Amino acid sequence: MRYYESLYIVNPNYEQERLDEVMQMVVDKMGEYGFSIINHRVWGKKRLAYSIQKHKYGSFILLQYETELAENLDRFERFMVLQKPILRNQTVVLDARPEVHVEEEPVADESEEASVETEVEEATENTPETIETTEAAEEESPEEKVDDNESGDEESSEVGETEEVVEKETEEVQE
Amino acid sequence: MAFQSRKKFCYFKENGITDVDYKDVKLLRRFVTDQGKIMPRRVTGTSAKMHRKLVRAIKQARNIALMPYTNTSTES
Repeated sequence: MRYYESLYIVNPNYEQERLDEVMQMVVDKMGEYGFSIINHRVWGKKRLAYSIQKHKYGSFILLQYETELAENLDRFERFMVLQKPILRNQTVVLDARPEVHVEEEPVADESEEASVETEVEEATENTPETIETTEAAEEESPEEKVDDNESGDEESSEVGETEEVVEKETEEVQE
Repeated sequence: MAFQSRKKFCYFKENGITDVDYKDVKLLRRFVTDQGKIMPRRVTGTSAKMHRKLVRAIKQARNIALMPYTNTSTES
C-alpha cells in the first residue's frame, strides 16, 4: 500500500457551499478509482506566490489517501487538470502513513476568546497607571537635567575663579 | 590580518530534522535569496543529503505557487 498527498488550489471566489461541491466531486471520483481517503480538508485561503489564471489568491485543499492501484493516479491527475474550478494540483508520494487530522475548533476557540478577554482586561487596568508613571518620569527628568547643567556651570565658574586667584598670587610672589 | 570565517553547520542536523516538507514555507524561505533563487550549500552549510531534499521541496513549493520562481521588483 502506498500513500499519496494531493494539494490542489480552488478558485478563491468560491464560497463554502461551492467549495464543498468541488470537494465532494473529488471524493466521488476517488471512490470510482478505488482510492481510500485518509484526510481531506481545507488548508486555507492563501495568497499565491505568482498569479494563476489572473487569480492572486487561492483556496488550498489538502488530500491524503492510500491506494495500490498506481495506474489510476494518471487518470486522477488528468481528471483534476480538466476541472475548471481547480487552478492547480500536485501529487507527491508520502514515505509513511499520515496521521488522521482531528479538528479541535470548539476547544481552541473558547481558550482563545478567554485569553483575549483577560488580555483586554489587563490592558485596560494597566493603561492609566502606566500613563501616570510615564508622566511622572517626564516631570522628574527635566528637573534633573536642569540641576545637572546648573551644577556643571557652577563648577566650571568656580574652577575659573580659583585659577584667576592662583594667577594673581603668583604675580604677587614674583613682584 | 585574515578574517576568521564563522564555522558553518547544517541547519537540519542541528535541529534534528530528517525530512523537508514542501508546505513548510517558513523553513524553505531561509534557504532562498530575496530573488527566490536557491542558495548554494557552500553558503548555507547544509549537508549534501539534506540539500537534495531541500531542493526538491523548494521546487514542489514553487509548482503549487507557495513560493515564487522569481521575485523581481516589478512583480507583486
